[in-house]
Amino acid sequence: MTLLRMFLVQTKMHFLWYFRRDGEMIFWTLAMPVFFLVLFSFAFSSGPTSRTSGFLVPGIIGAQVLSAGFWGVGVMLATFREKHLLKRVYLTPMPAWVFFASLVVYRMVLLAAQALLLVAAGALLFHVRITGNPFEIAFVLLLGTATFVSLGTIVGALARTTESANNIASVLTVPLAFLSDAYVPIDRFPHAVASTLRLLPSTQFIDTFRDVSIYGQSLAQHGAWLGMLVLWALAGTAISARTFRWT
Amino acid sequence: MSDAIVVERLVKRYGELDAVAGISFSVPRGTVFGLLGRNGAGKTTTLECCIGLNRPTSGRVRVLGLDPTAPRDLARLRPRIGVQLQATSLPEKANVREVLELYAAYYGIAPRPAEMAARVGLDGKLERQVAQMSGGEQQRLALALALQHDPEVLFLDEPTAGMDAFGRRILWGEVERLRDAGKTIVLTTHYIEEAQRLAGCVCVVQRGTIVAEDTPAELVAKHGGEATVTIVADGFEPGDALRDLGRWTNSGAEWKLATHGEPGLALAAVVTHANAAAATIHSLDMHRPTLEDAFIAITGEKIGEAG
Repeated sequence: MTLLRMFLVQTKMHFLWYFRRDGEMIFWTLAMPVFFLVLFSFAFSSGPTSRTSGFLVPGIIGAQVLSAGFWGVGVMLATFREKHLLKRVYLTPMPAWVFFASLVVYRMVLLAAQALLLVAAGALLFHVRITGNPFEIAFVLLLGTATFVSLGTIVGALARTTESANNIASVLTVPLAFLSDAYVPIDRFPHAVASTLRLLPSTQFIDTFRDVSIYGQSLAQHGAWLGMLVLWALAGTAISARTFRWT
Repeated sequence: MSDAIVVERLVKRYGELDAVAGISFSVPRGTVFGLLGRNGAGKTTTLECCIGLNRPTSGRVRVLGLDPTAPRDLARLRPRIGVQLQATSLPEKANVREVLELYAAYYGIAPRPAEMAARVGLDGKLERQVAQMSGGEQQRLALALALQHDPEVLFLDEPTAGMDAFGRRILWGEVERLRDAGKTIVLTTHYIEEAQRLAGCVCVVQRGTIVAEDTPAELVAKHGGEATVTIVADGFEPGDALRDLGRWTNSGAEWKLATHGEPGLALAAVVTHANAAAATIHSLDMHRPTLEDAFIAITGEKIGEAG
């Protein structure tokens, strides 16, 4: 009971922090993905087709997962440290895992809202149809979020200041989004490059997510990649547990 | 066990620098212990080693019999201590009520936002966002967070830095109330007045070591030097009776007596003598040694803000 209440109140604080900052942040997380969808749907084909947009809807959701991990969690942790909030929290009886679980859940809820918005925009504007099993889709999304939040905590552990966390996050998020099959099909790269890019956890996550949600494939066909994501998540958790500093 | 805190030969080294260079002290339960020193003397590092925020290079620390460097002990210690840190560390987008509710959840206690806000003079400000509060108000909220779960030991790091007179009065009142209720309090400060008023025992810290430790009254008696009485008067000259009181020096009409005796009695004798001699008194001044005099005598430095 005590732990549950701790968890709920802490999660509420994350949302409070999120929604009470300037409206700019809310715009970036909710409206920008839809804007990207519309822009790229027109830009990447002679005219918007459900095929192009169908590629983009899961791709943009996937890119948002990356940015939720590196920006949302990594930069947030560095900011909290810089403001001495982490130090103060460390002095309380709240177990560390409750704090991190609340971060993961906070980001998952925001991502779910972003994903629903994009799916709705895709359906209404470009007739994109999500055909996969909703449970399998949700599973891939949750696994991806867990993986990139755990990798994001490494950014939060290594960066000394908010500014350096911001720099690390942008260096990771922006190129990865373009190299991981999120906005641009990596088939357009030379074969050797594309094969190399498929080794990235971000590519494996986004491709799995797209295949399961749009192309009607089953989870079983992506067992190896899902296993890789679990390994990345475990490695990320282990590394941040060793390197994370509260002060 | 009567000591709430025991620190033995504590050392904290940063590269070449010993921030804390072998500090030992113990704090009996139910007392207020003050670490007095300039900024950078090692007070904060010492306090951080007691609450698990900093890892000693060597030495031994026990708080309520528990070792703050051992994770299991630290977990048992956390609910029993309250801490107010020097730098404000509050979630700035939350309001007073929400912050108090958050911390009540951390400690698994029923939230009492209205009561706690009133206790630190923030009544009527429950809906005020932290970001819109003054530095002093934020410090008072931080104090409320340290107190809300009724801890056995309270650690206050420069608690009144940046507070106005109102905030200081509230904090001092709380410290005295908690001491009377049997709680143990450790505070670091560079305010002489605060140490003198609150601390039963004061440690003077300089460059990572304790250079003096005693009650404020004893520190003054041992290190404060002589009391002085200064009189400026026409036709005044100390007679034999006055000369026995202590050392006299003069420049023109100003006569100054330095005495180890009670300066009030000396003052009365000086005035009586001046009146008997029909001298015209222009000014009269008495100075009793203070903790500040003792601090300067002990450290060779003024405490001030600099340093």
